[in-house]
Amino acid sequence: MSKLDNKKFMVCCANGAGSSLMMKMTLQKTLKKLGVTPASLHHCALSEGKSAAVNYDIVFCARNFVGTFADAQKKGTIVLGLRNIMSQPEMEKALKDAGLLD
Amino acid sequence: MAQTILQKIVERGHYKFVDHVDTWQEAVKLSTESLAKTGYVDENYYQQIVDCITKYGPYVVFDHYVAMPHSQEGAEGVHKTSVGFMRVKDEVSFGKDEDGEEKVAKLFFTLAAENPSEHMDNMQQLIGIFTNEELLDALMEANTPEDILAAEEKFPPITDDDE
Repeated sequence: MSKLDNKKFMVCCANGAGSSLMMKMTLQKTLKKLGVTPASLHHCALSEGKSAAVNYDIVFCARNFVGTFADAQKKGTIVLGLRNIMSQPEMEKALKDAGLLD
Repeated sequence: MAQTILQKIVERGHYKFVDHVDTWQEAVKLSTESLAKTGYVDENYYQQIVDCITKYGPYVVFDHYVAMPHSQEGAEGVHKTSVGFMRVKDEVSFGKDEDGEEKVAKLFFTLAAENPSEHMDNMQQLIGIFTNEELLDALMEANTPEDILAAEEKFPPITDDDE
């Protein structure tokens, strides 16, 4: 069992159509590599994600959008900002740095 | 084997090669030109993209001189799904992001997303292109549609077949 099993993930970008899809695909690959089975993996636009974030355990977004999720962060959602949204190593490092890997 | 996105770009004439563009706004506009000419998007579609980048910052510019200008799925003024390719010789600056890093692009992959499943397939293929630096380098040198196809043949995009 990984600490990340059964967690609810959300990936978010400004429009929910471009970079969030790419982030979702990258996250799927990263989690697969780590042997993690997430409970769910949702991608959406910031407008939806801003309020929905509290319902998720971990949120990934481009680093310039991290501030958007300040409320959810206060309520315990882990928000991880990425420099390169297509980098599996960066995603893995972000999870590791957040203490989420075993 | 279905056509790759780069093959579709060539077949549909969704490409443009220019030497220099003064501003990123002008570059975004030019990058939608081939899509507009063929009726995939309305002529003013670029304005939505410009507004979006103005509002949210240059988050559509990735590593290795790649920009992916886009609006939202099912955006107004988008009639068919495709990707418009543009290569600019001189780098185009989108300004600095919040961390002070200047975002520059030479390769534009401008999204028109109307059909969700086709769009999803395009995005999957674009990841394979964007994570293949040799292919990107070759595309930056491309001057003709034939060069695009030759680049792809020489440096096939990294496919999504796991491991």
